[in-house]
Amino acid sequence: MTVGEKKRATYTIPVGPIHPALKEPVLLELSVDGEEIVDVDVLLGQVHRGIEWLGMNRNNPIQTIHLAERICGICNICHPFAFVMAVEHAAGITPPARAEYIRTIIAEMERIHSHLLWAGVAAHEIGFDTIFYLAWRVREDIMDLIEYVTGNRVTKAMFQIGGVRRDITEQQFPRIRQSLDYYKGIFDHLRKIFLEDKTIQMRTKNVGILKKEGALKLLTVGPTARASGVAKDVRQDQPYAAYADLDIKAMTPDILTGAVIGDTYDRIIVRLLEIKQSIEIIEQCLEKMPPGPILAQPKTAVLIKSLTKAEGEGVGRAEAPRGEVIHYVRLESGRETLSTWKVRAPTYVNLMCVPTILKGGQIADVPIAFASLDPCQSCTNRLVITDRVTGKKSVMSYEELRRLSVEKTKRLQQ
Amino acid sequence: MFEAAKTILRQLFLTPATNKFPAKYAPASTTQFLNKVTKGELKLIPPVPVPPQFRGKIALNKAACTGCRLCISVCPTRAIEFILEEKKVRIFVSRCCFCAQCVEVCPPKALSMTEEFLLSNYNKYADELVIVDSGEAPGSKQEKKADAGARRESSE
Amino acid sequence: MNLLGENTWLNIVILIVGSAILTFISGALGILYRGIDRKLVAHMQGRVGPPIVQPFRDVQKLLMKENIVPDGAISWLFNAAPIICLATSVMPLLYIPFGQRALISEFGDALLIVYLLILPPLAFVLGGFASSSPYATVGAQREMVVMMSYEFPLAVAVVALGWRISYATNANPFMFSTISQYPIWELVGPLGIIGALILLFSLMVVTPGKAAKIPFDMAEAETEIAGGFLVEYSGRNLCLFYLADIIKTFAMVALVVALFFPYNLSPVLGIDSLALAGIVDGLFFLVKVFGMMFISISVVRTVMARFKISQASWVYVIGMTLISLVGLILIGIDLRL
Repeated sequence: MTVGEKKRATYTIPVGPIHPALKEPVLLELSVDGEEIVDVDVLLGQVHRGIEWLGMNRNNPIQTIHLAERICGICNICHPFAFVMAVEHAAGITPPARAEYIRTIIAEMERIHSHLLWAGVAAHEIGFDTIFYLAWRVREDIMDLIEYVTGNRVTKAMFQIGGVRRDITEQQFPRIRQSLDYYKGIFDHLRKIFLEDKTIQMRTKNVGILKKEGALKLLTVGPTARASGVAKDVRQDQPYAAYADLDIKAMTPDILTGAVIGDTYDRIIVRLLEIKQSIEIIEQCLEKMPPGPILAQPKTAVLIKSLTKAEGEGVGRAEAPRGEVIHYVRLESGRETLSTWKVRAPTYVNLMCVPTILKGGQIADVPIAFASLDPCQSCTNRLVITDRVTGKKSVMSYEELRRLSVEKTKRLQQ
Repeated sequence: MFEAAKTILRQLFLTPATNKFPAKYAPASTTQFLNKVTKGELKLIPPVPVPPQFRGKIALNKAACTGCRLCISVCPTRAIEFILEEKKVRIFVSRCCFCAQCVEVCPPKALSMTEEFLLSNYNKYADELVIVDSGEAPGSKQEKKADAGARRESSE
Repeated sequence: MNLLGENTWLNIVILIVGSAILTFISGALGILYRGIDRKLVAHMQGRVGPPIVQPFRDVQKLLMKENIVPDGAISWLFNAAPIICLATSVMPLLYIPFGQRALISEFGDALLIVYLLILPPLAFVLGGFASSSPYATVGAQREMVVMMSYEFPLAVAVVALGWRISYATNANPFMFSTISQYPIWELVGPLGIIGALILLFSLMVVTPGKAAKIPFDMAEAETEIAGGFLVEYSGRNLCLFYLADIIKTFAMVALVVALFFPYNLSPVLGIDSLALAGIVDGLFFLVKVFGMMFISISVVRTVMARFKISQASWVYVIGMTLISLVGLILIGIDLRL
């Protein structure tokens, strides 16, 4: 602020922790001047649940798979996926090829469901409830398919260390193809509604812009980064599961429009393109699925014993619908629970760009710009409380928690 | 310009997509509504049917349980309790997270998932929500063994 | 004034009792229309929607709830704003004819209605500023901007109509009795009909703004500012605001119908008896209001997203004003021909 520049009189509007614009609790403190946003402060930790503590102190790895599933209700596959890959990396287990293909199919089904959910919620944020109902009605088909394949709509419980728990048999293929045909047929209709509707364009074009340099500097991941022109995708750069056999290209908005602006409209484009890509991936997987077993070690009791004896550390990376999710796992011989478990969810890094995209905009842009990052606070808030050693129960202040968290990161890096 | 307008106006004349379970409008008094349903005066509109292999409420075949406690070691939510005197287990559905890990791990295949999902109750320890014995699951190995045994007995 | 003889006191009593009855009737009708609107919007969105009597239950429930006044609020203004809003929402309905005549049609004309219709949003603004909440402040600011923006096209449309009618008759051109005697469609040639259609279109765009419905409901935006100026209101105060919003919608649509479609059914059917004609015309008026409400409020709020305040202001102050002026000029050219 230079001499002579008037300091604007601002007042603070809190968005959260409970607010109709947010799916999950987070506190955004907006300093506004009239209707224009001058500054943004993001405060996390509103929905901390102690999940990593449970994984390290109470659960054996098989139980932790189901715990990892419940980190988030929407990204329900990517967390167990990354966790299972980390444990397999640490213990030296290789899943059979058929299991890898089934994992890929389930992950892509989840991506379709998550992007359709996001599309509906984004429409609701701009007040267009009709499209919200329409997008979620279209999503019902993939939910029915997921229920048919895995047994449940949300908590799919398909993963096991060393493979998957359920097979996708040849008899189930026609039902899967029926859903894929439905989505291929309706995709054009969805594209027209979201990308060519005048009021949606008025609300999303040039709103919440994140340029390419900003995306690279703030380390954004996932569709948020791809919409700004950064063509990074874990499935393309470090392929895991069956992605190495398929041809995956990171989806950026210039595939459709030829230019990259990095606003909310571009993020809608990227997510719609990814739905199309997911449909194609599932089709390719169904054609190429190799025969064989689905579990490296079918007897669960033997598996638990071998994991208790395993020693090593492993990192699992997966491409969640929101970006790159990393799980780090360390196993110690003779210990039934995990020795160390650290989850880095994609929303954690994406939230860093919130001040950049909100500053200078209007309050009316806050819900849609924030929602266009597809924030999943449930994935983000699992801070570790490390006072079990003393056994004392105390209320920790924010500064104390932060200090402990920094210390722990230093310990993990040694 | 308004791309959705045609679809929206057309939907005015189509049937709604809602599955109207249990009734079209919320009843003024839920207890009276449920009383009338049990008496048979009102019919519930059925829910969307579940696919096969749906993971619903768990069922336990007490006779087949050997008390090995493998299910307890894999349950993520500690929903299964070991009854020391009988050497059998007991499952609390209000804690169950429907992962079916115990079903997979059970050696004598005493556990199975039914298709029941309407499980709400005022009391989390009600009899329906504490599974002690559900008899033999239809089509299970035990039933087939029992049938084979009965046929052998009758032929002798 | 001659409602029932010359006795002033009798007239005053009839005025008071008539206003009370009219408040109840218009409230009931408004709530019924709101229920029908919700049901139709639900079917357009592919769902079942609430039963048509649901808004009655909403009002009943709100009356039973506790009325909380926040600590930092200006409590006399906080409690007075809903009452002012409801009272000023009902007042236009005393002047707009439901078919044959209104309760006190001799004392008011369309210009008075335009002024009276400023008061309910003003009461919203006062209520919003009196609640001590940043969300309410933002909502009240937005309501002020929207209010100031749509006055221009509204005024141009009404004045254009009155100006044209003043060339056809010497009576007060803004009185509703005059307007119903000289409907605009019969006065003008083809160029003027285009002009009048443009003015009708501009009034139909003002209607959702006045009634605070999507795409112009940013003052009360649920997802952005958690309810806007209504965020601190509960119980009886909220019930009064709810009713005022319903009746204000009804009044605005009734104004548009009375200005542009003042036709009556009884001359067509040849009914002579005064009472029967009054009833038939009243029902026909209600049907017209329903049709206009369906087009300009129900369909529009299903098919569009919410605007930002800057966009809404642009639409009214620049877009609709220019369009209304074009309509006015067309009617003027048609007059010269």
